[in-house]
Amino acid sequence: MPAGDPAPPPAQPAGLVEHFFRHETGRLHGALIRLLGVHNITLAEDVAQEAMLRALRHWSMGGVPANPSAWITRVAMNLAKDALRHQRMAGIKEPDVITHLEITAPSPAVAVEGSQAIRDDALRLLFICCHPSIAPDAQVVLALKVLCGFSTGEIARAFLSSEAAIEKQLTRTKQRIQQAGLAYDIPEGEDLAPRLDGVLAALYLLFNEGYKASAGDRLLREELCEEAVRLASLLLTHPAGRTPRTHALLALMLLTAARFPARLDEHGDLLRLDDQDRSKWNQPLIERGLLQLVEAARGHELSEYHLQAGIAAIHCTAPDAASTDWVRILRHYDELNRLKPSPIVALNRAVAVAKVHGPPAALDAIAAIPDRDRLESHYLLHAVVGELQWRQKNHRAAAESFRRALRLAQVGPEQLYLTRMLERSLGEGGQPQAE
Amino acid sequence: METNATPVPFMLFFRNTGPENYQHLSPEERQQVVTRWNDWFEGLVAQGKAIEGQPLEMETRIVSGPGGARVTDGPFPEAKEAIAGYVTLMVSGVEEATAIAQRHPGMAYGMKIEVRQMTPDCHLGVNTRARGRSKQEVATD
Repeated sequence: MPAGDPAPPPAQPAGLVEHFFRHETGRLHGALIRLLGVHNITLAEDVAQEAMLRALRHWSMGGVPANPSAWITRVAMNLAKDALRHQRMAGIKEPDVITHLEITAPSPAVAVEGSQAIRDDALRLLFICCHPSIAPDAQVVLALKVLCGFSTGEIARAFLSSEAAIEKQLTRTKQRIQQAGLAYDIPEGEDLAPRLDGVLAALYLLFNEGYKASAGDRLLREELCEEAVRLASLLLTHPAGRTPRTHALLALMLLTAARFPARLDEHGDLLRLDDQDRSKWNQPLIERGLLQLVEAARGHELSEYHLQAGIAAIHCTAPDAASTDWVRILRHYDELNRLKPSPIVALNRAVAVAKVHGPPAALDAIAAIPDRDRLESHYLLHAVVGELQWRQKNHRAAAESFRRALRLAQVGPEQLYLTRMLERSLGEGGQPQAE
Repeated sequence: METNATPVPFMLFFRNTGPENYQHLSPEERQQVVTRWNDWFEGLVAQGKAIEGQPLEMETRIVSGPGGARVTDGPFPEAKEAIAGYVTLMVSGVEEATAIAQRHPGMAYGMKIEVRQMTPDCHLGVNTRARGRSKQEVATD
């Protein structure tokens, strides 16, 4: 956007839904990769991109057509056909393209090119993006780029990284996909469960990236959460993805996202759960989340997502902080620590221990975390310890812990929060004395 | 330039509208710019000021020389100067037509608009001024 343009965004033109260009890009990739093959992801991206740019050129002089999606699809399919002609690629028969063109070209039919076909292409692409041959972080970046239609600039802003670094990672990921020779399928049979777990883990990571308030553009990060919710919901529309743990993951996302509006105070400072105005929690999202949790309870499966969603549900249904059922939360954490032990889970469990058994027991629990050293570089460890020390009126130690946490936290609300905590500790006599 | 009480026909010629102008925009920025220029069009159409318009395809062929012997294909080195599309306006005069062109959101992305008044009489037998008059009569009746 040109700098200094004060005009507020006007109403969307008819037919141009919110995030049109983003999701249209993802949709085109889905269809183009089906046509061109998984090894041609980059070509599919180039074709989709060119179709978008032609749309922009055209629409700058004539406005948006009645069915923009159909317009872009027609241009993209023509470009794909040209690309195939030029490259004369082996293994892809042009008649396939032309048949596809004939199916999709007679305009209005395209946008509704069977919503099922669009959904299946999106799912195929999701399974490709989350393939076990790709590292988890790279999966998230690839999904954001090809499936969600984010630009590398947007991804870089969301992750507080550079565009060049994101570009480089994407190139490597696509090379890996090319070498792996992946099929454009929704996995079946015994392949399905482990592949689905990979997809769920990637969506969890995507959501978490958005949820972390630690860095990057806040609006964009909330959009990462929206995308994670959208893709989890998409999984649930297909029998392959409709499992209790998918429901549980979606429940977790909805119940967590419901608290977004209350996370920051009017200065943009981070608020702890205890201090949040619960009337700001998004009640419809909570209801949707609880409904998903009910769905998740069908069957005997108990996943980490069930337990985390269960914890989120206890928070969401407590009328105020004081009446939170910490005993039940602690039981969930105990279970989670057995099912999926990790230093972060253990640290969160310690917070529940403090609520149930008091700060000394919690500090003991933290001291007993097996991989504690892995947490030393994480600001959260020092923030939690600082809080517990403060509650023990050990203000000097608390100040030191908050200072360490502050050094480790990245920019943004977390730093502000920690600064406030540090000042509070110093105000209570935690000031280091000149000796 | 005098201001006419009767609307006069103008043509806006769009130049330098190439796809590459929008390459650096993120999907969300593209959405914003499309939304803004759609408002530009919709506004003019609603006021009865935009009569017709069309983008042109990028492929270009230029015929010249006696008997049309020289036929050259685009793109040309000066492709940015080629006409990429047009809109016909019925407005009070060159000032209004210019102001309309200035408000096109494409300006921020390198677009150029040439503003030209159309002659009242067309050799094909269509009298554009008459078209304008009849428009006005409809409006005042």
